[in-house]
Amino acid sequence: MYSLVHTATICGIDSMMISVEADISNGMPMFSMVGFLASEVKESRDRVRTALKNTGFELPVKRITVNFSPANIRKSGAGFDLPVAITILAAMNEVSRERLEQVMLVGELSLEGKIFGVSGVLSMVLCAKEAGMRCCIVPRENEREAKLIPGIDIIGVTSLGEVIWFLNTGEKAIYEEETPEEKKEQNLPCHNFSEINGQQLLRRACEVAISGMHNLLMVGPPGAGKTMVAKCIPSILPPMTLEEQIELSKIYSVCGLFRERESLMEQRPFRNPHHTISEQGLTGGGKEPKPGEISLAHSGVLFLDELTEFRKNTLEVLRQPMEDKEVTIARVNGTYCFPANFVLVAAMNPCNCGYYPDMSRCHCSQPSIQRHMDKLSQPLLDRIDLCVEVSAVGYDDLIRPGGANESSEEIRRRVIRMHQIQKERFEGTDILFNSRIPARELQRYCPLGEKEMAYMEAMYKKMDLTARTYHKIVRVARTIADMDGAKNISRKHLQEAICYRGMDKRYWENCL
Amino acid sequence: MMYQYWFLRLAGVGNAKKRSLIEAFGSSEAVYKATRGDLRSYGLLEEGQIQRILEQGKAWDLEGEYRKFCMTGQSLVTLEQKEYPSMLAKVFDAPYGLHFLGELPPENANMVAIVGSRNCSAYGQKMAQDLAKELGRRGYWVISGMARGIDAYAHQGCLDGGGKTVAVLGSGADVCYPRSNQVLYGRIQERGCVLSEYAAGTPPLARQFPARNRIISGMARWVVVVEAREKSGSLITIDYALEQGKDVYAVPGRMTDPLSRGCNGLIAQGAGIITSVEQFISNIEEIEFLGISSHLSCQEEIFLLEKEELLVYSCFDFYPKNIDTVLVESGLELLTLLSIIMNLCDKGYLKEIFKNEYIKCK
Repeated sequence: MYSLVHTATICGIDSMMISVEADISNGMPMFSMVGFLASEVKESRDRVRTALKNTGFELPVKRITVNFSPANIRKSGAGFDLPVAITILAAMNEVSRERLEQVMLVGELSLEGKIFGVSGVLSMVLCAKEAGMRCCIVPRENEREAKLIPGIDIIGVTSLGEVIWFLNTGEKAIYEEETPEEKKEQNLPCHNFSEINGQQLLRRACEVAISGMHNLLMVGPPGAGKTMVAKCIPSILPPMTLEEQIELSKIYSVCGLFRERESLMEQRPFRNPHHTISEQGLTGGGKEPKPGEISLAHSGVLFLDELTEFRKNTLEVLRQPMEDKEVTIARVNGTYCFPANFVLVAAMNPCNCGYYPDMSRCHCSQPSIQRHMDKLSQPLLDRIDLCVEVSAVGYDDLIRPGGANESSEEIRRRVIRMHQIQKERFEGTDILFNSRIPARELQRYCPLGEKEMAYMEAMYKKMDLTARTYHKIVRVARTIADMDGAKNISRKHLQEAICYRGMDKRYWENCL
Repeated sequence: MMYQYWFLRLAGVGNAKKRSLIEAFGSSEAVYKATRGDLRSYGLLEEGQIQRILEQGKAWDLEGEYRKFCMTGQSLVTLEQKEYPSMLAKVFDAPYGLHFLGELPPENANMVAIVGSRNCSAYGQKMAQDLAKELGRRGYWVISGMARGIDAYAHQGCLDGGGKTVAVLGSGADVCYPRSNQVLYGRIQERGCVLSEYAAGTPPLARQFPARNRIISGMARWVVVVEAREKSGSLITIDYALEQGKDVYAVPGRMTDPLSRGCNGLIAQGAGIITSVEQFISNIEEIEFLGISSHLSCQEEIFLLEKEELLVYSCFDFYPKNIDTVLVESGLELLTLLSIIMNLCDKGYLKEIFKNEYIKCK
């Protein structure tokens, strides 16, 4: 007898529908599975046989063949146990084949017949919906996640027996509905800008950075508060649109970081990887490529503390994703593309001891400062739009009670308005923020007056700017003008943008 | 010349002994041709040294070695010639000969040595440059060691002022050390000279640097220290200068600044204080100081600034200060302050020396 069920597998962060067919025929008794399987899928044969036995079904003494199609895609992951078991049962006429039409199944089996959760369910359910499935049978652990996708029936199951019962009778097992906990207070980020005393320049730079989604680099002595300010940044990030939420949730789901959540990812992510991270950890990789930190920071903030301590190779791989807003990983089994539209916030010391250019405290020699700076390449620095110095906090500022400072909520309100303005400006294009305006569109969105042009020309020569840094300055000036409520960019906006302009090693070398 | 080159390269006989030998024999040629009896008769040398002189005299290929030296493009000056810097000749352990690239300072050149630490502040840099520039403009020769920091700025300042300068190296004259001063090294050869007591190709060894300091102070009439820590190498030069009886001047710094502690210490011990470039020059030219200082005279110019610009300008210093500090001191709004700072930078009153750190330029 022949039967067919549907399941899905993860490719990158998207999923693909896979058909699992089974055929039971006369011949030498055996159980074979074909279709380009990874070893965890091949092992599923033993799990399925035992789980079926422990649920009360003996495999017939016949030739059983299971095929996964399309056969050119490598199948990996633990979610194939359930579809294999069900398709064999259907071939044995133990469950109704009609009910299996337009149903997607996914789940890992234990020998006892229990069903465990798998990662990436959100992405699979989305795929099933697009493929026109009417119902998804998922492990109970993943039920909540799957139900975030509207317009498709989700059946959460804990054991093989339940699935068979459902398929034969159409009745769901009844669970004690978990008392729906009151929707937890949105777990607000614990740091708030009201705790930061002084640091006016840095506060302003953070607001500009988040308003236009510009990359930010903080340079300063140890203990000045770089990390603390960075930890406040999540509190001023604006909310995400539904599409952004779904895309981000998919990434987290694929990485298996979604299980306990009750809703989509509502807050923009703030990722803070340690500086020992590998290239693969940052961009994503592995035999079956998984998203890395830059994708987990998609539409949010990637914070790299102690930027100069990262391995040089690791930092250099950031260059392409920062430009393209996505990362492409090529492996033997295929090429995967992960979104990586993040804001880079980085912090570093200006030299080994950290006190340069305060020569009364810094004991580094000129070559040692040079070597410290050389850990970062100019192409990477060119991609950073804003760079500010963080000075050590004075005692007066330190002991002042924090309440008097502007709180994150106020800043966030302004940031939300800025995002609104940009949304209106870029209506009908795929540009999202000022920082993403392509160079060819600059003239259209950031026109400069005659006087401003003359000023920028003078600065271009004086500061030895490159085309890329020039564009960065204009984009930042656009954001500053927006914050000022001005329609056109004027000289003072450009001046402020130049004040924040990215680190240029050559510029300081000439001064040294 | 061949004999002089041989005598210069003669190993195992010190500079003071070489000098006595020249005084006794009259020339290096005479020493070369002297017999064992002649060398012994003056009672200057030990047996071993006499043996060495005779051996090296025989083994040395006079013409060939000298030709090889000429191929390097360097020139040679020895105590036997009148071109030898006269100030240096008076020093008791002056090197017998010097290798150099470029032109030697003439007999009547007024030479000022400017020394200081390699790790200098923006203030030290500015003072060294301003001082050297004015000296260069007035036709003084500035002499220094072409090290990083103050030395390099002194050479640079002097060349910028149109003057000539001498760099005394601790390596062979054809070895540019530090490599980062490559451009400066070239410029000095065009206007002045790079000289060394070491043979061509000698690598820069640490022990050679204190020794070259005696040449720096020896050639100069005045020695100026711009910035020195308490235990700075520049103070070695000062020790030589005092031994050689030169006039020592120091640029004062703030009493809290560790970079100026050496200078302030020298002033306490009686070194001349430099309160302005003009005061220093009138001091060395022994004319009356009129009380005009270029660093102060621009005070009149700054009255042309707007009121707020003046306020911001006065908050800055010749030591780097960052925006946040000035923000508190001036009490201005951040955005206003940024715009004023950028305006002042455009007008050339301020300069950004590190990310968001500025110093006064005038």
